[in-house]
Amino acid sequence: MTKKTHLFAEDSFFLSRRKFMAVGAAFVAAMAIPVGWFANKLARRNDYIKARSAGLYQDDAIAKVRVSHRNPAIEKYYSDFGGEPLGHISHELLHTHFVDRTKLS
Amino acid sequence: MHHDQHDMRPILKHPLNVRVFHYILLMSFLPLAATGLLLFFKPLTDQGMELTYNIHIIAGVVMTLDAVAFTVMAFDRVVLFVARVFSLSERDVKWFMVLGGYPQKFLFGKKVPVPPMNKYNSGQKLFGACVLVGGTALILSGLVLWLIPHAAPRDLVWLLGMAHLASGLLLTAFLPVHLFLAVYRFDDFKAMMIHGNVPYHDAAEYTPLWVEQEIAPVATSGDELARK
Repeated sequence: MTKKTHLFAEDSFFLSRRKFMAVGAAFVAAMAIPVGWFANKLARRNDYIKARSAGLYQDDAIAKVRVSHRNPAIEKYYSDFGGEPLGHISHELLHTHFVDRTKLS
Repeated sequence: MHHDQHDMRPILKHPLNVRVFHYILLMSFLPLAATGLLLFFKPLTDQGMELTYNIHIIAGVVMTLDAVAFTVMAFDRVVLFVARVFSLSERDVKWFMVLGGYPQKFLFGKKVPVPPMNKYNSGQKLFGACVLVGGTALILSGLVLWLIPHAAPRDLVWLLGMAHLASGLLLTAFLPVHLFLAVYRFDDFKAMMIHGNVPYHDAAEYTPLWVEQEIAPVATSGDELARK
């Protein structure tokens, strides 16, 4: 007595070990290609930041004036006119003042 | 051939677990495709888009659970499917050269010789490969885009978004072709949607190599059925 409604079915043992290995290898290869591609993209995602940093360091290394307070124009301003850094005249001239304009109406 | 001459002996083509898996896939993928297109073109109000997004997520979770459960519970079927989909030969090249004879049949009513096929023809194999690779890509990228878009690397999230879009559009484009040909091959349609069996004559016509190489009488041969 059987409840089966069919007379034929697939022979379930037709998948040989060799074929199973081939399928596994093909599947792993198919999955490895996008993984390799992603990994490569990930590894190179900060390349442009590294290139920018390297460029800035190189600019620094070859610059004649490497700190702002050695800027000849600034030095001339203090010696001829402003006196000393944080002095009274410099404070008057160089400081920015803010006015509240939100209540003009 | 007259109907009486058809060999109607049933061959089990789609076992119960495959049919259940296919039903859940159908019920989750149709809303996924529809809401995916809505999310891409954004035609609705903010509230409507939010509802669309929620439906997309729920259907996506259902599809993921379906795929994982089927892979775990019916691993042999998955291996068989992968084996069939990725087994290529000269016959597949010849099949694609005449496109299975379908355009000639539909457009000119002409029958051209088609190379003998195994359980799936070359077009079905191509679709199967797209479903396997694209479906896996959709599930993995969807999980990252939904759960950890803020924690994953920015470029990776962008790439996964593009992969999700491309795979989704590809599989959605396949959908009308799949539905049309499924109904056209009506014996196979009934096998997948109802009882799992195809009549011998249908299998022998469309999948001669499958019948020749893999089909055997069932061990507990239905003697009662045979006598009918």
